[in-house]
Amino acid sequence: MRPLLMLLKSKVSTLFRRYWVLFLFPILVAGISIDGIQKWVIQYGSDIPKVWTDEAIKDWELPNFNPEFSAKPVSAAFYYNLPERVIYKTYTVYHPDHEPEGYWDWLHSIDAEIELDESKLLTEEDFVKAGELLFDYPIDSLGAIISKENVRDVGFYEYSEMPLSKDGIMPFARWIVTGKGKVYLGNLSCGMCHTKVMPDGSLLKGAQGSFPGDKAFAYGLQKAPENDVKAVSGFLFSSPWAEGDPHGELLSKKKQDILDAYAAVPTGAFGRQGTSILFPPQIPDLIGVKDRKYLDHGGLGQHRNIEDLMRYIAMNQSLDFLNMYGSFNPLGLNDEVINSGKPIMFPGTYDRHSDKQLYALAKYVYSIKAPENPNKPSQLTEKGKVIFAEQGCVTCHTPPYYTNNKLTPADGFEIPEEHYDKYDIFDISVGTDPGYTTKTRRGTGYYKVPSLRGLWYRGPFFHDASLAKLEDVLDPKRLESEYVPTAFIGAGIKNRAVSGHEFGLELDPEDKKALIAFLKTL
Amino acid sequence: MKVKILLLLVFLFPFQIFCQSKNTIDPIRFQIKNAGINVDGTISDWEYEISFDPKNLIDSKIKATANPQSIETGIKLRDKHLQGRQYFNVEKFPEIRISSKRFTSKGKGRFVGIFELQVKDVKKEITIPFAMIKSGKNQRFSAEFTINRLDYGIGESSLVLGDEVKILINFEK
Ligand code: HEC
Ligand code: HEC
Repeated sequence: MRPLLMLLKSKVSTLFRRYWVLFLFPILVAGISIDGIQKWVIQYGSDIPKVWTDEAIKDWELPNFNPEFSAKPVSAAFYYNLPERVIYKTYTVYHPDHEPEGYWDWLHSIDAEIELDESKLLTEEDFVKAGELLFDYPIDSLGAIISKENVRDVGFYEYSEMPLSKDGIMPFARWIVTGKGKVYLGNLSCGMCHTKVMPDGSLLKGAQGSFPGDKAFAYGLQKAPENDVKAVSGFLFSSPWAEGDPHGELLSKKKQDILDAYAAVPTGAFGRQGTSILFPPQIPDLIGVKDRKYLDHGGLGQHRNIEDLMRYIAMNQSLDFLNMYGSFNPLGLNDEVINSGKPIMFPGTYDRHSDKQLYALAKYVYSIKAPENPNKPSQLTEKGKVIFAEQGCVTCHTPPYYTNNKLTPADGFEIPEEHYDKYDIFDISVGTDPGYTTKTRRGTGYYKVPSLRGLWYRGPFFHDASLAKLEDVLDPKRLESEYVPTAFIGAGIKNRAVSGHEFGLELDPEDKKALIAFLKTL
Repeated sequence: MKVKILLLLVFLFPFQIFCQSKNTIDPIRFQIKNAGINVDGTISDWEYEISFDPKNLIDSKIKATANPQSIETGIKLRDKHLQGRQYFNVEKFPEIRISSKRFTSKGKGRFVGIFELQVKDVKKEITIPFAMIKSGKNQRFSAEFTINRLDYGIGESSLVLGDEVKILINFEK
């Protein structure tokens, strides 16, 4: 079967041809037959929820800030017509200076192995274990973020300040072998963005990740022609209906300005598709996500049960590229092209996880536990706990989850009447920067109240990762325009206020110390 | 319009008190437990019509309105939230009203009043024990009572925020 490029005759398709189409063939797509597609029907486990029904997809997500442009996802018919992902065995990526002698040749000498046999998944434990495997399984081998050339280039590591784990391992990508001599760099595993390299070189899966993704992407884009940089940035972030069209404006600039915008996104944040590198979302800590009622900083995805998390994964890996937003589609497609029955060759849009895989993934994500907290309760933290209550933090960051699981409107968003019944609303703006939630495809007009659990191993803070430390969150100087944000600043900006969330700013230094000590015990 | 006039009227009044007494207590205070800690607040903007004669309780009348827009709890954003639609919804309900229905005397300057309290669109009859002490020409009223905020649709049931609100009244007329 020949993969068909179903893209309009534009720069977009040129870009595809240039970069991705080269890699498409041998893997994933090949070997898919009608038989393969039908297999799921037969072995369908009875208690595995069916994730993508037209009914469920319709109102699972919140509307866009600008409701006319709320996402219209692909149909259930389209979805279940996509072939399921085959999970090959994957292999460690090393920094070039640490790659064991002969490793590269060995990788090219081995055969493909399929690593996951779904028919064997029976117990909860089986699912969690399979889920962990899937968590680290790259769904892309087209080079969505970084390429084979990048990871074999020492300069790439220097430029991106890529953290390495023990033994010089680059822990955010894996080699996929799909046949003898067919070695691809796998991108877009959950672990790519949701794994943190701890100071001792160990890995903390699920935590706010430390993959410097946008810097790494910028490195690869340096060699690309300006128009391609613009096209791909458009796929990722365009939201032309947003007031002032900030992404359109970015794309009207020179290539270097765009690369600078990528490079300005700090570690701990990532311009995921549908969000922004101008208002980059902090990577959330997935540990404890089971207890959160909304997913993403704007609370775009409701999270009422495991099915919703499965839906979230399916949508974000990366079917949202096929959403229609009014008559706009990020890849420049239209309904007709999307539903023509031909595969749309773009990372994550021509295949899907099986419902069983999604179930396993969600089970695993739910199972991830935080490491033992070294910050134990003390007199100081007890004092901080009282301050936490006195300062009213507790109303929004309510124990035991340290969130009241509500959505707060951003400045400039008027809560539609019907939302009060449909969603969990806390109807006051905390006044943080409204950019992400009013000007992106994922924007809803809200910011959810984040959980404060695990603050001790997290950072940078706030939805746009502006502040490196908890001390900065409580620093009143951050409200002044001369302030230099300690994490995300923005390309070409030297100083700016990090406004809003004006809680606890007036405490005296001793009280702040106690409050922070308490926060670090959560 | 109405609110403006009210504001004007009411402004004069607290001023008088502040000038008169040294250790002023805010006339309307409330207390609510949040995460085990008492949060104190005030409503500073209010007005009343009182004709209270202990010897003629039948013809006595106490009527007052308070403006929830003047609520203060020490945290500005919290105050703003309290004014929002999930709490006082001040845009729609700019006044809290209370008016007496009847009084009984409990001796030594102590009384019990049956009042109708209206918060938002909920009217409820409540019983308020209070004291009235005469000082010269003036009458000093003080009362302490508790209401359940959920009865009046003030916020929703919460793990940390108490349902009971203690209200403390203390003023001189
Ligand atoms: C390329 C980077 C990237 C990859 C790959 C990725 N994520 Fe994420 N994820 C993010 C970012 C960034 C956000 C925050 C998005 C936002 O708020 O707009 C996020 C948000 C989430 C959330 C919402 C959590 C919350 O509290 O709001 C969940 C759940 C999640 N990801 C799970 C996964 C899983 C499971 C996978 C793999 C199937 C995955 N992600 C793959 C970057 C990534
Ligand atoms: C009115 C509700 C509210 C109150 C009160 C409140 N917060 Fe928050 N808090 C939020 C919201 C909403 C955010 C997310 C803001 C954003 O990122 O734009 C947040 C974010 C935070 C963060 C950053 C978390 C992260 O993952 O980046 C910390 C830390 C925090 N709050 C601590 C506190 C403390 C300490 C207090 C009391 C002094 C407090 N908050 C009071 C609503 C509140």
